[in-house]
Amino acid sequence: MRVIGQSQQAERALTALLSAFAFILVAMGFFAFIGEPPFQTLLAMVTYAVGDSYSLSESLVKTTPILFCALAAIIPARLGLISVGAEGQLYIGALVGTFVMLLAVPYGGWLLMPGILIGGAVGGAIWGWLPGVLRARFQVNETITTLLLNYIAVLLVSAAVYGPWKDLANLGWPATIAFPDASVLPFMFGTRVHAGLLIAVVAALSLQVLFRYSRWGQGLDVLKGNARVGRMMGLDFQRQAIIVMAFGGVFAGLAGITEASAIQGRLQPGISVGYGLTGFLVAWLAGHNALLAIPVSFLIGGLIAAGDTLQLFNKIPASSAIVLQGLLFATALAVPGLIRLWRARRG
Amino acid sequence: MTGRHIALRGINKRFGALTANDDVDLDIASGACLALLGENGAGKSTLMKVLYGITHADSGTISIDGVQQNFRGPFEAMAAGIGMVFQQFSLAPALTVQENLLLASPTAPWLHVPGSRALTAVLEVLARLAPDIDPRSRVADLAVGERQLIELAKVLNLNARTIILDEPTSVLTPTETKRLYGFIETLVADGAAVIMITHKLADVEACADHTAIMHRGRMVHAGPSADLSRQQMVELMIGTASPATADRPSAPASTTPRVIVRKLAADTETSSVANIDLEVCAGELLGIAGVVGNGQTVLADALVGLHPLRGGDVIVDGHSVAWTPKPRIPDGRVAYVPEQPVHNAVVPDLDLSANLGMRSILQRRFWQFSRQQQDADARALLESADVRPPEPMRKAGTLSGGNLQKLVLGRELAGAPSLIVACYPTMGLDVAATRAVYRNLFEHLDRGAAIIWISEELDDLLDYAHRIAVLHGGRIVGVRDWASASRAEIGDLMLLGALPQCA
Repeated sequence: MRVIGQSQQAERALTALLSAFAFILVAMGFFAFIGEPPFQTLLAMVTYAVGDSYSLSESLVKTTPILFCALAAIIPARLGLISVGAEGQLYIGALVGTFVMLLAVPYGGWLLMPGILIGGAVGGAIWGWLPGVLRARFQVNETITTLLLNYIAVLLVSAAVYGPWKDLANLGWPATIAFPDASVLPFMFGTRVHAGLLIAVVAALSLQVLFRYSRWGQGLDVLKGNARVGRMMGLDFQRQAIIVMAFGGVFAGLAGITEASAIQGRLQPGISVGYGLTGFLVAWLAGHNALLAIPVSFLIGGLIAAGDTLQLFNKIPASSAIVLQGLLFATALAVPGLIRLWRARRG
Repeated sequence: MTGRHIALRGINKRFGALTANDDVDLDIASGACLALLGENGAGKSTLMKVLYGITHADSGTISIDGVQQNFRGPFEAMAAGIGMVFQQFSLAPALTVQENLLLASPTAPWLHVPGSRALTAVLEVLARLAPDIDPRSRVADLAVGERQLIELAKVLNLNARTIILDEPTSVLTPTETKRLYGFIETLVADGAAVIMITHKLADVEACADHTAIMHRGRMVHAGPSADLSRQQMVELMIGTASPATADRPSAPASTTPRVIVRKLAADTETSSVANIDLEVCAGELLGIAGVVGNGQTVLADALVGLHPLRGGDVIVDGHSVAWTPKPRIPDGRVAYVPEQPVHNAVVPDLDLSANLGMRSILQRRFWQFSRQQQDADARALLESADVRPPEPMRKAGTLSGGNLQKLVLGRELAGAPSLIVACYPTMGLDVAATRAVYRNLFEHLDRGAAIIWISEELDDLLDYAHRIAVLHGGRIVGVRDWASASRAEIGDLMLLGALPQCA
């Protein structure tokens, strides 16, 4: 049996390697298509992603919300639920966290920072709990509800910052007052990388331990594989559906409040550049493994950061990073299937 | 087209260890309705699938009017004028009746123009069959009987002159059934051959000119329906007793009921049981006999608390074990061996160790850092239950059916349950494994467990059960003590739901 395990691992590594190779080929094809020297541009991207300490820090800045949002998709997926609601949970997390900040700013004190973080977590949790309850009690498809709640969340934030929360000192710019320094997570190494990255990484590691070694994680495995058998063993699918959806929301909410407070400094529309959907795709690429989500998030974060720099120096549109991201997901999902097909053909 | 004759000769078909058709001969004449009778698993459907080209016989020939045929698939059978209506319909519920008919018609154009010739053609048959069905209504809005007629119209649109109906009345209400009998008569009067796969004697009496009876893969009788009495048909279908593979368990020591089922009623979308009253003593084996599809599945699920009750209760040792909105934490009081274990009793994606260990999942501490103990326990259980291969790390989904059955039996019978509900527990097992299962069950009887055993093998129930209750149409229609149980009487109850009245 150990032999089976090893060959499976070797096979997975081979698949990953082939996928990466295929992606490099496709990416170079894309650069050639837009009239850039393929190899040099690729090399430049790698340099802009991890070439020096500044590039590296910018990649890590992007990694943080992506990893949080990936966790928000991974936790429901452990029960077999498909949540695409990280984007909305991120926005509501930012909204509720900012609300705590606005209430508490006159009092100040050391409680401010944990207060807004908890606010963000609670906001995200509420936005996950809602579709969780709808799924558990009324069998409403959670993918549809989370998708639609995303739009509501984005518009709620807009309503707040264009309306009652707009800081008049901004001269018409739709944004709240700035987060005071005492409310912002500490930055690390003198860069824009904030302690949120640490929280995300520690959360991912702890979740993986929970999934693997706790009664809770093992119960989720049973319920995901066969809810009927789960019931025979006394496990409650409905209860767990609510728990995983709300728990997932916690992390997307943290992504929202840390982006608003540490990166943008205030709540404004457009906190996220599609981090929710990116996180969802990272979750799939990582096979819903919280540990694997860490490197995959870093890879995608680097890709996005490098795309920004590429626009700055090489006059290549930053949206080409989005195109590359799409190509990466497409190859990563297609290559294993193609390998299987090829195997089946060969018998 | 007149008087064609289809002859099946020497059909043999084996699925692994199971012989579905054993040297079967059958003659099908046009202008007549043939009832193909037999218990579930007697090989009726297999035989007809061979004729329809879905299944290929291991040996044997099919000839039409003396010309030997070699159907490579249903399309060739259809081209030869053979059509089949299955129990599971293949209609698109979201489409209208006429769209469904056009989909199945080979001459239909790519674009469906209202009033086209193709449309009038496909609707012609429907208008004859069921003038009251609006061809523009959506299939999803139709009753089951109406859907069956649409399927029949589809088959007739392909110019089928030999029409096979697989258990056609099992899904119909009495009124719909009567209407179907009428259609069969019309088809037969038109010169078609209709073959009706069934286990209902009422179907035979209503419209079958000829009857062919199968038992355990063999054709035991073929001839005009009028030649046989109801009694004789039942006897031929049920067969004669086969030698037992184990000794009957000794009679229960006590007569106080350990398990009480009171006025139990439960429904699913397709079946329901009601008014179930049962009492089982410690050490007693109660068999539930019945033809599959009479509510066995929902009854078993309801007994062990996996299905909500509409009424009544199930009491084991003075505690209710009936369904509650919040799942109960299993206390080992009830063991359940459901039918189709791969769907109903294991998690195919998890390994054997997890599948065996999950029974105690809620009794564990929150953290379980080491699986060593669980793996060791699993290995011991796999060895004793003779699961092959005994590898705890293997995924449950990769085991064969028989080994999965052994795995589930091993897990469920590991503790000291008060009530054991077993559905077809020896399905897919060989003789040695079957004997081991009986021995295991009987040890629990000696310990004082109460067993409810749902089976369609009347022979097994007659050999081992202390009492036999017969389930028919979702109700218990009779309970017999083993000493007074007669095979014919129970057969009558199973198939007719009542004992024939003496004239």
